[in-house]
Amino acid sequence: MTSDTPGREHHGDLGRRGFLRGAAVGVGAVGAVAGGATALTAATASASAPAAPKAAAAPFHGAHQAGITQPVQSASVTVSFDVTAADRRELTELLHTLTERARFLTTGGTPPTVGITDSPSDSGTLGPQVPADGLTATVGVGASLFDGRYGLADRKPLRLTTMPEFPDDDLQPAWCHGDLSLQLSAPHTDTVLHALRDIARHTRGGLQVRWRMDGFSSPSRPSGTPRNHLGFKDGTANPDVADPAVANRLLWAGGGGEPAWTAGGSYQVVRLIRMLVEFWDRVSITEQERMFGRNRDTGAPLDGVHEFDTPKFAQDPMGDVIPLDSHIRMANPRTAATDDSRILRRAYNYDRGMDSNGNLDMGLVFVCYQQDVERQFAAVQKRLAGEPLVDYVAPFGGGYFFALPGVKDRSDWYGSALLA
Amino acid sequence: MSAEPEPEPAADPAEEGGAPPEMPPAAPGPSGGRRLNLRDWRVTATAAAVVVAVTAGVVAITATGHHGGDRADPAASATPAYTGLPHTAIDVSPSTCGKGWGANGKPHTGTQVFDLHNSGASATEVYLTDPKTGKFYAEVEGLAPGTVREMPVELGSGTYAFECQQEDTDSVTGPTVTVPGNVPQGPASRPVTVHDLIPPTLDYQKWIRARMTELSADTGRLKKDIDGGDLAAARRDWLAGHLVYERMGAAYDTFGDADGVINGTVQLDVDPAHAAGFTGFHAIEYGLWHGRSAASLRGQAATLDNAARKLQKDWATQQMDPANMGLRAHEIIENSEQFELTARTDYGSGTNLATAAANIDGSREILDELAPLLKDRDPGLARLQATLDDAQAYLRTFDKGGTWTPVGKLTRAQREKVDAYFGDMLEQLAPVAAICDVRRTT
Repeated sequence: MTSDTPGREHHGDLGRRGFLRGAAVGVGAVGAVAGGATALTAATASASAPAAPKAAAAPFHGAHQAGITQPVQSASVTVSFDVTAADRRELTELLHTLTERARFLTTGGTPPTVGITDSPSDSGTLGPQVPADGLTATVGVGASLFDGRYGLADRKPLRLTTMPEFPDDDLQPAWCHGDLSLQLSAPHTDTVLHALRDIARHTRGGLQVRWRMDGFSSPSRPSGTPRNHLGFKDGTANPDVADPAVANRLLWAGGGGEPAWTAGGSYQVVRLIRMLVEFWDRVSITEQERMFGRNRDTGAPLDGVHEFDTPKFAQDPMGDVIPLDSHIRMANPRTAATDDSRILRRAYNYDRGMDSNGNLDMGLVFVCYQQDVERQFAAVQKRLAGEPLVDYVAPFGGGYFFALPGVKDRSDWYGSALLA
Repeated sequence: MSAEPEPEPAADPAEEGGAPPEMPPAAPGPSGGRRLNLRDWRVTATAAAVVVAVTAGVVAITATGHHGGDRADPAASATPAYTGLPHTAIDVSPSTCGKGWGANGKPHTGTQVFDLHNSGASATEVYLTDPKTGKFYAEVEGLAPGTVREMPVELGSGTYAFECQQEDTDSVTGPTVTVPGNVPQGPASRPVTVHDLIPPTLDYQKWIRARMTELSADTGRLKKDIDGGDLAAARRDWLAGHLVYERMGAAYDTFGDADGVINGTVQLDVDPAHAAGFTGFHAIEYGLWHGRSAASLRGQAATLDNAARKLQKDWATQQMDPANMGLRAHEIIENSEQFELTARTDYGSGTNLATAAANIDGSREILDELAPLLKDRDPGLARLQATLDDAQAYLRTFDKGGTWTPVGKLTRAQREKVDAYFGDMLEQLAPVAAICDVRRTT
């Protein structure tokens, strides 16, 4: 774990790893993997640009995970895993491996060579050298990880629970909860799938996918926030978390009785929400807009002109312009009392074929981050209970997770403080 | 493979209940054996001859891919696949093997690319070896004449030499190059030759012979049960016999059409109760677990027993290809994951987990045979063998006195644990296949 040998900091650990791929590759190879990655960061930057547009590498190391504050990207996959590692030692090894893979994949590099000792170390779907391509990996842990299996019961984040079933939910157990969440996002689908395949390959003994939903984010149509399948812009009223004061008040956990290890993390809520798009398409535009409280064309609140105009609910106490039961009004009444319940939304659209009744199976992978899931998402959800929109959407899955603090440097790893 | 032509009425013994039919047609059942037949496993000539033929095949394919070797040397215009890394041009004809390294700059550690140029007249294999240990660090197979291919490597400190094996000529080893420094070397292994693989293959064939004796005893017992109308005993003996067959995983392709007769399945859109030519364990399984009468199964039991006896007799003249031993160790478990953990092959007994456990026996047997070769080549061997044992022990917890939990009845946690074991086994088996790939070292 010495800092002067970057890339070989986990030799001692890897030597005794027993259930994850890579353990058998040997000491030299492990060093070479990370060493290759390091060498490559510089190499890729100076290489001639390939045909595909290239996104810069998001910084992997930092106090927070990069994927939380980064705006949504074109392609994503949201996966919930159950941890099959046998004990705490294996869980620790698993998180080391996950860190090493995420570090390599988000940094890019030449995959390690294996000579005649193994099948190729990389699937090759991104070519011989792996571009970072703006990939981010965001890792969270669910309440079930803090059961008796790993001796973590006394370390559970204060507000982390199994996601409750809200009044308008129709949860399917197969699509809910999980020990560990992983969201991969990038400008291109191949980059996301390459990363998923790589991570799964290296963790088969320790992680099994519980559920998975692929998502995409649309371009601005014609401008502003991307639209969801209902045709409305989704995520307009996000708090400005680039302002540290806002982020510290609304986004980052820590303090307030939380276990110390949570500092720099954030509560992550994932909601898989089916949208009944055929039904929706048979609703008049006036009714659609009154359900949201926004103009469909521009995204502006019904009392405004531009997308980012602030609705003036106080001047419309009877809801003549923006109905009292409209989505934006119930979700965020914009009062002093509700200001600290705002959430950072990072939603993706999903599309997964057809339903049994012949309808398009489309919806939203709603993801949001917040400092306190009770004070924020749960409070908003309770305010939204019974809103008119619920006839057209059906939340059926997802879970509550705690997005881990960032991986600080090359010697750090996901959950190092949690498992310390 | 489809239902055409119209099946003969007599071809459905399950519905006939009459006299046992003659030996079934040589063609496999409606969908034949379930095993993927990606790599031919039988040899009729000597093993060595087959290996040469295989190698030549590879070369031919590669040469085609490069549009033959007579074109203008493309070395000058080749676009590198690996960018941003140091490249070193290496000549690999028999007379110049390894030329270019050390002369055009200082050998150095780290990730780098050798651009191998075959200026010779024939295709060649190229290996980067440590002449002191005989270990191979990298390889390029079937490099066509006149072509250049990149060989990415991560070099640690040590001695290296290129070895060029041109078709039909003796191997040539180039000059030894010392890479200075104190950097650990990357993964490497001593090559496995066909001669290394012959003894374990012969031992394995012997082991199969013993299984075949068991198999025909079991199918005889099953036939007796059915003839005597004891269906409870038949279900028990069916499982015993089927598991014996499933333990022979590595030999399926060697059995050829017999595998379709003994262990065939039907396509998903075909009703197993009315599938022409559907014979063997799964056809009998379907009857035994779907309330068919003993009388209706007599023909099937005789067919299976006859096929098992014929297989045993024919085995004396069969030879297995040593080159496939390593591949089969992992393919058995790949098939197990694909067909057993999905219950694709379940025709009512719900014993896929028993089959999977038997498949592990088959993989373990091959690994045991290969262990002398693997013990100093695959540092993960002991762990792999332990994983096989653990996985099998876990599967056996689903055996309640001969009644196995069907795959579909596993709880989520159980299912995930089974999947984790199989995923883990398969990732560890991949190196075995790579290491046991036959490499010519003459």
